[in-house]
Amino acid sequence: MATEKELSDFLKSVEKRAWKRAVYAVRDEDAALDIVQDTMIRLAEKYADRPVAELPLLFQRILSNATMDWFRRQKVKTQVVRNFSEYEGPGEDSEFDILETLEALGGPLQSESAAESVSRAQILQTIEAEVALLPARQREAFLLRYWEELDVAETAASMGCSEGSVKTHCSRAVHALAKALKAKGITS
Amino acid sequence: MKLDDRTYRDAAREATEARFARAVAACLSESADQLSPDLAERLRFGREKALEAARRARGETVGVTASGAAIVGFGKSSWWLRLASVLPLVALVGGLVMIQNWQTRTQISVAAEIDEALLGDDLPINAYRDPGFAEFLKTPPSE
Repeated sequence: MATEKELSDFLKSVEKRAWKRAVYAVRDEDAALDIVQDTMIRLAEKYADRPVAELPLLFQRILSNATMDWFRRQKVKTQVVRNFSEYEGPGEDSEFDILETLEALGGPLQSESAAESVSRAQILQTIEAEVALLPARQREAFLLRYWEELDVAETAASMGCSEGSVKTHCSRAVHALAKALKAKGITS
Repeated sequence: MKLDDRTYRDAAREATEARFARAVAACLSESADQLSPDLAERLRFGREKALEAARRARGETVGVTASGAAIVGFGKSSWWLRLASVLPLVALVGGLVMIQNWQTRTQISVAAEIDEALLGDDLPINAYRDPGFAEFLKTPPSE
C-alpha cells in the first residue's frame, strides 16, 4: 500500500505532464486543470491502498477516462473519434524526415528559414502545437509510450487496444511529427 | 538473406523512431517544467485535495465536537464506532425492561402477601362483603 508521502510524490511527478496531456486533448487550460484534479482525486479515493508500482498505469487510465468524460460532457465526442484510416503510414522519405528533425531536437537548434532567430522556446511551442494536432489515439499512444515511458503492453492496456495498434499509432505519430516539424523548418 | 536485411531495416527504423520520439518527449518535459507559478500552485492545490480524499478513503476522519475538541476516528473501525454509539441505547432499553420486570414481580409479591393474609386469617373472607362489618371497621375503637 502506498504511503501518503509516496502518493504525494507520485502525484507531484505526474501532475505537470498530465496537465499538458489534458491540454493537448481538450485545448482548454482550465478544463485540463479540472481533469487532472479529478483524476488525482479519483486515484486517491479508489486506489490509495494499491502498491505504488501500480499507480502509474492506474493514473493514466483514469486520466484517459476523465478526458473522455469531459468530451462526453461537452457533447463533442465526435471530435475525438476520427477516422484513422485517413492518416497514411510512413512513406519512403519519412525516415529521412525523422533523421533530419532528430538532429534539430537533440543538437544545436537551427531553422530552415529564420535560421538563428528561432529560439528554443519557440521550437518547444511548435513541437507542443504539433503534438496537440496529432489524432487523439496517435497522440495518446505516443505520449503514453514515450513520455510516460510505459512499455507497449502497458500502453495497450491503458488504451484498451492491441499491442500492434499501439506500435502502429506510435509509428504514425512519429512520422507525422517529423513531417510537420520539417514543414515548420525545424531540421538540421 | 533478404529476410535478414528486412529485419535489420525494420529494427533500424524502429530504433530511429524511438530516438526521435524520446527527443520529442524530452522537449515536452522541458516545456512542462516551465509552467507558470500560478499553474503550479493550482496543481499543488489539486494534489492536496486528492491527498485529503485519500485520507478520507483510508478512513482517517477528523471531526470537531460542539465544544471544539477534535475527534480522530479510523475508517476501517468505523463499524466498531457505530456499534459503540449504539451500545448505550441498548443498555438503556435493557435497563428499562429490567425495571419493568422488577416492578411487576414486586406487585405480584405484594398481592400474594395480601391473599395469604386474607386466606390465613380466622375471619371469613365473605365478612368483608358485609356492609355492617365494613362500617364496623371504619368506626374508631371506643375506649
